Amino acid sequence: MTAPPDAGEALAQALIAEYAAIWAYGPIGVRLTGAERKAAITAEAAHRARRDALVVQLSTGGGSVPPDRAGYALPFPVTDRASALQLAVQVEERTAAFWRAVLPTSAGAERDRALGALVEYAVRATRWRRSAGISPLTVAFPGRPG
Amino acid sequence: MVLTCPVVMGRTTRRNGASELSRRAVLGVGALLALGGAAAPLTGCGLFDSDEPPTPDPLAPMIDEALRLAAGLRAAGVAHPDLADRLTPLAEAHEAHAAELARVTGTPLPSGPAASSGATGASPTDRAATLTALRHAERAGRDTASKACAEAPADRVALLGSITAARASHLEALK
Repeated sequence: MTAPPDAGEALAQALIAEYAAIWAYGPIGVRLTGAERKAAITAEAAHRARRDALVVQLSTGGGSVPPDRAGYALPFPVTDRASALQLAVQVEERTAAFWRAVLPTSAGAERDRALGALVEYAVRATRWRRSAGISPLTVAFPGRPG
Repeated sequence: MVLTCPVVMGRTTRRNGASELSRRAVLGVGALLALGGAAAPLTGCGLFDSDEPPTPDPLAPMIDEALRLAAGLRAAGVAHPDLADRLTPLAEAHEAHAAELARVTGTPLPSGPAASSGATGASPTDRAATLTALRHAERAGRDTASKACAEAPADRVALLGSITAARASHLEALK
């Protein structure tokens, strides 16, 4: 099965989401300590690994690679632990949505990778929700818009 | 013929791609010509069904699975009221999955309560054992959904991805 022509666009959008996620973990990490900071570092590394893989995949596929930006607008100011955890939840859930959008245009190993990202980010969002004391810990349809 | 069988032909397109569609369409026309002089009834979609018996929707068993997972969580919440706040949203998610799977497969939701997954059957008084059994059930459900996601046509794969991710996050929430 060959992927439809908009597969490259879905991957490019996922890459932009990964750029923003990596950027967001900067202000998140500095507001956290101990195990939570360590978790933020692990999360950031996961987003960097997916960014790197996407850059390679898009450039070897001959598609355009969207550039990273110097900064990204945060949905709210990150001023303390609570807002940092809140943003971490949002980063994971929003990035998950972009990988969910890759699923219909992918097949085989590429689909497995997209599902792996969606699952990993949904699980990490649940962990951040627990840290933040957010109830419920899960959403019914991770990555679904709206 | 194509216009009389939009569902069947549409499914072929989703699963096998455009080239398979055209090959099957040609085969269908060939079969029609071959049968032209015979007494076989050439009525509508029966022609297409004849070389491929109708099979149940591959996602239909997942509806029952989702309802069993929900029933197991609800039973555990009754046995352990202190866990109910944690378990109820997970049960509701499984019920939402069942409703969505019923919608996309055109399958009516079964009426009446589903049988529990058995997660709480062994030792309902033991909280830790209950959580372990619930995690076991969620893990199996995650693997079912993941497999279905890998094999699904494009118009179902996002839903199955969300169900896989939800079940994986339930595992985390039950820790």
